[in-house]
Amino acid sequence: MSAGLNIYVLVKQVPDTGSKAGLNPDGTIDRAKAKRMLNPFDRFALQAALHAKRTYGGKVTAISMGPPPAVEILLETLEHGVDEAYLLSDRRLAASDTLATAYALYKVLNFIGKPDLIFCGLQTTDGDTAQVGPQLAERLGLPQVTYCEDFHMEDGKVHARRIIEGGYQKVVAETPLLITVANSYHPLEYKSFRGAYRVRRLARDQEEMKKFIHTIDLDLVGADPDRTGLKGSPTIVAWTEKVGELGGSCVMHEGQSAHELIQEVILASALNQFLVPSSSTK
Amino acid sequence: MSEQPDVSAFCPKGDVLVIAEQILGDLQPVTLELLGAGRILADKMERNLKCLVLGHNLGDIPQKLIEAGADEVFVADDQELYLYRTLPYRRVVVDFLESLPEPPHTCLLGSTTTGRDLAPRISAHFETGLTADCTELDIGPYDHKNKVDPSKIGLYPNCLYAIRPSFGESLKARILGPWKNPQMATTRPGVMTPNKNEPGRKGKITSVPVNLQPDDYRLIVADTVREVAKGIKLTEADVIIGGGYGLGSADGFDLLKQLADVFENSAIGASRKVVDLGWIPYQHQVGQTGKTVRPKLYIACGISGAIQHRVGMSKSGLIIAINKDPDSPIFKFAHHGIVGDIYQIIPEMIKQFAEIQSGRGVKAVVGTH
Ligand SMILES: Cc1cc2nc3c(=O)[nH]c(=O)nc-3n(C[C@H](O)[C@H](O)[C@H](O)COP(=O)(O)OP(=O)(O)OC[C@H]3O[C@@H](n4cnc5c(N)ncnc54)[C@H](O)[C@@H]3O)c2cc1C
Ligand SMILES: Nc1ncnc2c1ncn2[C@@H]1O[C@H](COP(=O)(O)O)[C@@H](O)[C@H]1O
Repeated sequence: MSAGLNIYVLVKQVPDTGSKAGLNPDGTIDRAKAKRMLNPFDRFALQAALHAKRTYGGKVTAISMGPPPAVEILLETLEHGVDEAYLLSDRRLAASDTLATAYALYKVLNFIGKPDLIFCGLQTTDGDTAQVGPQLAERLGLPQVTYCEDFHMEDGKVHARRIIEGGYQKVVAETPLLITVANSYHPLEYKSFRGAYRVRRLARDQEEMKKFIHTIDLDLVGADPDRTGLKGSPTIVAWTEKVGELGGSCVMHEGQSAHELIQEVILASALNQFLVPSSSTK
Repeated sequence: MSEQPDVSAFCPKGDVLVIAEQILGDLQPVTLELLGAGRILADKMERNLKCLVLGHNLGDIPQKLIEAGADEVFVADDQELYLYRTLPYRRVVVDFLESLPEPPHTCLLGSTTTGRDLAPRISAHFETGLTADCTELDIGPYDHKNKVDPSKIGLYPNCLYAIRPSFGESLKARILGPWKNPQMATTRPGVMTPNKNEPGRKGKITSVPVNLQPDDYRLIVADTVREVAKGIKLTEADVIIGGGYGLGSADGFDLLKQLADVFENSAIGASRKVVDLGWIPYQHQVGQTGKTVRPKLYIACGISGAIQHRVGMSKSGLIIAINKDPDSPIFKFAHHGIVGDIYQIIPEMIKQFAEIQSGRGVKAVVGTH
């Protein structure tokens, strides 16, 4: 490895699911009001990208597609040690499904450079499809490792462990490679002092900031607007229906001594049927 | 662009295709579930149900697929397909679909680590719609009026309705993409109902050519470890005590075993996190990549209730969760939630349960939860 790896990490800003703010009565999201955050799954991808850089050398570039406020999460990635970031923001991207999103991100990657490693989160908490990563790999014609729990590099190849049903698989892949990182990978470390300092400085100097966080649009990356947004999306959400809180009927027992809590549960639940009288077996 | 496109062009005949999944010759249950769901869709449209299976030395798997409801099975058999790898499997599926006189109407895969790896590649190649992790499928009409793209306006008689939970399962979304075939979906394991097996059912078995390209070898599988649960009868237990990271250490399972001993026909379950940490062997893992269990009683101890755990146990008869965090997701679907520390709650449980068994404890109302 000579000049170091060209590493990309794809991150998305999602509504903060922890806060109830911004939910319309019908359960859809009012994106203007909802609090926003970095997609939790992308934190693992970010950790993986930074780990690759620190261990094998190179540069990490974060890419996001979304409305202008998504700059917030890109700044966050810089605080963690990402070198540079791109935000693809364009009205014509509205209502993109995963296929249209993957197309747009593919155009961004073609525009900014030749990757060695691309890290994606396993899935997003809003789209929740785990499709964008593999669809992007297909567009780029790259091999992929999905559900990656751990990896290291040897002789320029990636040795990775991925989850499968009932166990795991060890694979060896050539670069360039796209990796989707499972949430059993190492959690994201704290922001680096240098990164945080750098972001604070950038925040004071918009001109300087533009050198590290590039806001780009479809025309610049040469994307066909008919292949993005609603037009470029083969699927649509025809309608949604609220299913209420899952189960919705959990009877909570709290705020008493353990003794009282258990008495309460025994009285309120059908637990007793499992507790056969001592006269039978045991 | 004409205002009213010829809708019949969007509703070509096309069959329903299921892409089967086997791991080391083990036909995955989700394939049988897909054939169940696929049969209903195919019958509704009066089409055939076809199934493509990839692997090596597949033995009686093709016949099993017919007995499970497929009208025709396509077999791609090659030693390079023995283990699942994205690129070779993708190549064979793409070549197969391109060789058909017309694309299938619908193409279904399991929402497993394999299906979710492969399906997006196929959908991106053909630029067709794909819906992830569906819990219901149906066929029905759709009247598209949205004017953003006039070429899409029209009444589509036979659309795949791909129905899936979204936003932390609080919404159910119906996703459609009738404009291009195949309309693709992956379905969540354990949800669809398989067909009744029909021994001796007859169907056509056709072999499919395998032409891999040098590019398809950019990834090799060095090792596949599958620890098939044996010895413990997790799936048959009436009562499962599940332990998670909240136990704090492997020793916590000693306490869970004491609790399990109170019940007849009980077993210990675990979250993936504690299995990965080596606190307990894999055979005990419950969830998407572990066992799917349906005991009469599941007591979740220090388990947060992540979706991948939940899909393996949410159909249990009575779920009691102990967790010190009142906002833990497990309390969204447990029937009874106890907010507290495992190490205070469980010893007390053991004590009071023992009292009941000896006829002394509180008398519970026997009923449903
Ligand atoms: C592809 C894939 C497949 C997966 N498959 C599975 C699978 O099959 N099964 C599975 O389980 N997971 C699976 N996972 C992992 C899953 O996403 C979660 O990470 C995992 O289930 C979390 O385990 P946990 O609940 O034990 O740990 P945590 O999420 O860390 O939860 C621990 C809980 O314990 C509580 N707690 C802590 N201390 C105490 C105490 N003293 N008393 C009471 N409560 C306490 C905490 O409040 C917390 O809620 C999979 C993930 C991926 C990406
Ligand atoms: N709008 C986006 N911008 C950047 N990356 C994205 C975007 N959408 C999805 N991704 C990446 O693809 C992964 C899977 O997303 P999804 O298919 O939506 O579940 C995410 O974890 C991100 O890494």
